[in-house]
Amino acid sequence: MIWAGAFLLIISCGGLGLYMASRIRKRPEELRACLTALTLLDTEITWGVTPLPEAFGILRERTEKPWALFFGELEERLQKGEGAYEAWNDTIAQQMKSFCLKPEDWQVIKDVGKGLGRSDRQEQHKQIELVKQQLTIIREDASEWAGKQAKMWSYLGFLGGIAGVLFLI
Amino acid sequence: MSLRYTIHPIHKNPVPKDIASGSLKAKKPNLQGSKDILRTLDQRKLEDSILRWLGEGIAGILRATRTVNFQDVEEIRLRIAKPLLLAGRREFFLDERGAVVPPEKGYKVRREDIFQALERMTQSSLYAAEEEMRQGFITLPGGHRVGMTGEAMLKKGEIQSLKHISALNIRLAKAIPGIGEKILANLIRRDGSLYHTLIISPPRGGKTTLLRDLIRRISEGSEILKLQGQTVGVVDERKELAGMWQGVPAYDLGCRTDVLDGCPKRIGITMLVRSMAPQVVAVDELGHTEDGEAVLDALRTGVKILSTAHASTLEEALGRPSLKELFAQGTFERVVILSRRQGPGTIEEIVDLEKFRKSGMGKVGM
Repeated sequence: MIWAGAFLLIISCGGLGLYMASRIRKRPEELRACLTALTLLDTEITWGVTPLPEAFGILRERTEKPWALFFGELEERLQKGEGAYEAWNDTIAQQMKSFCLKPEDWQVIKDVGKGLGRSDRQEQHKQIELVKQQLTIIREDASEWAGKQAKMWSYLGFLGGIAGVLFLI
Repeated sequence: MSLRYTIHPIHKNPVPKDIASGSLKAKKPNLQGSKDILRTLDQRKLEDSILRWLGEGIAGILRATRTVNFQDVEEIRLRIAKPLLLAGRREFFLDERGAVVPPEKGYKVRREDIFQALERMTQSSLYAAEEEMRQGFITLPGGHRVGMTGEAMLKKGEIQSLKHISALNIRLAKAIPGIGEKILANLIRRDGSLYHTLIISPPRGGKTTLLRDLIRRISEGSEILKLQGQTVGVVDERKELAGMWQGVPAYDLGCRTDVLDGCPKRIGITMLVRSMAPQVVAVDELGHTEDGEAVLDALRTGVKILSTAHASTLEEALGRPSLKELFAQGTFERVVILSRRQGPGTIEEIVDLEKFRKSGMGKVGM
């Protein structure tokens, strides 16, 4: 009985650790997907002169899960006539939970909304470019940090479980 | 300058939150006794078709106003830090509760109001309207035209784009019902072909509106006049006639109409005649001498010309250097003269130029 309980504790703690690790590993991936999407948005605006609702529609089709939902929501909001800045911020507030990004990442991503759709193509390009550069820096840090953290969490879960068992016995 | 035939699928118009969610109805009417105007369904529709393009602030004011009838409003003017103005045959300055007040007490338009309006009008994509803004205005679905001024960005002496937009003038499109048919009866021969026609009026006299109406009627034909539909080619240099926005025409110009959008008349007329074989060529605002030359060229192929020019009277038009050559050649056969005497689109007279030349008088019909 005791051994079964101990086994269960170790497994559950280990599982928790692995789950945390996988979330941490997702962050750089999501940042990369965001960078790709921004590049695409930039191209659509600067070269395609595509209106934002359509541009977000294209992004929705070209990105993977959490971002696809994000851009889908944006497309819908803009088609209803909402302003781009509000729509961008509100969508972030609403969908933040389904991402593994940190608050400081969102702080940078929020900058995209500033002046979005309110100026000419060059201005739009500059603004997106700026955000992209900042995101690139964040992503480099993030992948290094994520490698270490993920490893730590996956060990920590099991070790914590074992420690708990030893303590209880 | 891009040459393009534009036929594309129609966009959905954005519906602002308050209309979509129905909160518009929930708003309490702000009754002001006997001054209150009971709004008919038509007025409501017109109102909604305008308010959806404005930000919450301004739309709220216009919705709250009970003393101004939208049917009388021709323009809504937003200027940064200046009072909100509705202009028509009379002018109304409004304060934040929608009451008519003297100018100094009016609601001062904020930069944000203009931005919000632009956002609604361009689907939050100002950069996509650059081409249109170069002309100084955009046309909204439904035909309302929005003129704008700001800081012009120049490149090689030509306007590249407008920055820091500081004033908007929303000109409301209103159909002048029924006049087109009455006039058209005087502009067609027994065999159904059109006389070469020039429409003249002072600014804001309804030239473009009438021209648009005539184009549609000629294109679709008329049962009352026993007129068969004819192929019409439109060179829409100033993008006013079809009101193309991102390839979507704001106005219905009929089922036999081809529009060459944003093309200079001089090139456009020749190109249309060659490529689309129209029976009637319609152009707006003959102003340059070279426009006249293009028209003369086109005449040789047997097309009929339907056009407009700025002038208050026939004498003034006859004296225009740019039109002189056309008149000297006896190009035009009918001149329609409009004025604003009883509001825009008042028909002053229709002149048969051939009779006019012989006797100095040539009024036809009306």
